[in-house]
Amino acid sequence: MMENDSFMVKISNIHKVFHPDMHVLCGIDLEVKKGETVAILGASGSGKSTLLRCINFLEEPTAGTVEVDGIVIEAGENDKLRNGRIRDIRKRTGMCFQAFNLFPHMTVLENIIEGPVTVLHQKKEAAVSYAEQLLQWIGLSEKRDEHPSRLSGGQQQRVAIARSLAMKPKVMLFDEPTSALDPELVGEVVEVMERLAKEGMTIIAVTHELHFARDVADRILIMDNGNWVEQGPPEKIFNNPEQERTRQFLAHIL
Amino acid sequence: MKADTNFSEGSGIPAEARKTLTQIETDRAAYKRKLIISFIILAIAMVTVLILLKLDFRFMKNQLPFIFAGMGYTLFVSFMAISLACFLAVIGALGRLSKNPVFNSIASSYVSLIRGTPLLVQVYMWYLALPQIGKALEGYGFTGIQAYFTLPALTAGILALGVCYGAYMTETVRAGIQSIDPGQTEAANALGMTRTQTMKRIIFPQALRVIIPPVSNEFIAMVKDSSLVSLMGVWELSYRAIKMGRRHFQSLEMLITVALIYWMMCIMLQYFQEKLETHMARGDRSIR
Repeated sequence: MMENDSFMVKISNIHKVFHPDMHVLCGIDLEVKKGETVAILGASGSGKSTLLRCINFLEEPTAGTVEVDGIVIEAGENDKLRNGRIRDIRKRTGMCFQAFNLFPHMTVLENIIEGPVTVLHQKKEAAVSYAEQLLQWIGLSEKRDEHPSRLSGGQQQRVAIARSLAMKPKVMLFDEPTSALDPELVGEVVEVMERLAKEGMTIIAVTHELHFARDVADRILIMDNGNWVEQGPPEKIFNNPEQERTRQFLAHIL
Repeated sequence: MKADTNFSEGSGIPAEARKTLTQIETDRAAYKRKLIISFIILAIAMVTVLILLKLDFRFMKNQLPFIFAGMGYTLFVSFMAISLACFLAVIGALGRLSKNPVFNSIASSYVSLIRGTPLLVQVYMWYLALPQIGKALEGYGFTGIQAYFTLPALTAGILALGVCYGAYMTETVRAGIQSIDPGQTEAANALGMTRTQTMKRIIFPQALRVIIPPVSNEFIAMVKDSSLVSLMGVWELSYRAIKMGRRHFQSLEMLITVALIYWMMCIMLQYFQEKLETHMARGDRSIR
């Protein structure tokens, strides 16, 4: 039991079937400890984004169990309170998207306080003062009242991270957060993710960003065709991979 | 040749480029000038035609107060009907997008039925046929119900216009909602928002911006279709104009007068639409 408590995210036997001939996840298990930083790598179409989206139920798993911070949800169970439990998981998980998905009709500040005020019913003043701390933390205090369209991609992604952090999540999910960015803007986003990891946030990141995977992540998992190929600490995966498939994949991205 | 001053020497732009830029500016100014002249010529031509037709301008001027007195009805009917239409359109759009089979089928049937029948028939349906339904219901034991099914002309007109335009606008609103990037819904969901919160806080405000031009279009069309209530004897703008024209055998004068009044009203509406669009476009680089 004690051991079980130290897990923040626990996924067992997750399947996702979009069509009968599209079996995207084939019984995936994943356990992420509190404060652990995990990087998921794999070729496009291997199912890694789908897996990430199953954790906060943006994608409904076809079978399996998801547990986040002690909240357990079974795939396909029919329970009146289920939607509420899914929202409870979502309140505890922050998510950053490849396309940022900031709310374009709101200013940067309004984007950040939207969750705390609307979902957590925080007082606006309290939400604003925490949002200002977050803005300072990501180094964008001066963009407080700008609309997202006036920001660079890197700045937008940092605001998206702040928007998630405003909910005081227990775990952060990153879905290819730097893939839509110009190369010179990748660094500023990875730097924020790195600081987040150092401050003890539990992170699950789908990413091809090498610096993050090699130097920030505690553990790397390689996915192919909806199955784990290999997992281990970054040194082992990069220097001494066991599987031929891992070697092929790394040869592509290195 | 004001344009030249923008690209003075010493601004760091090479002479060749400056020449091109100046040429572009000059061409643009010339186009604007020609456009204004064309409009003026058109206006003069229209006025000339009116004069050549030997219109009785004094008669038009004398009847103006009488026609204008109908403006209140026209505006009232349009305003009430557009409010009703907007309300129905939002409910209808949510229904069309709903996963609830009952709600969805009701909304879809509403759009299909109303869009598939002439507005003229619908106006008479509300005014002339509804009392008959009331009478039939009385036959089934609902005594005293017929009074509620017999509508005053103004009410019938507002209901007919509102329900009809609500059906068209349902589709406009639905398309507006669907035009919003699914990533927006995902981001809202990821924050833990409920479906209602997502709709209210994230999707509707963005959809509103998209649907303002088509909804203004509907509004302008409705102001003119409000003349259909004249069929039920409501003394609005067109009813008065047609009546006066017939009485004095000067229909041409009266129709031209009332047409110009409608036109002016629509020009004003269009002005408000543009104001609203600029206001809603803040924060959006692509429109700004």
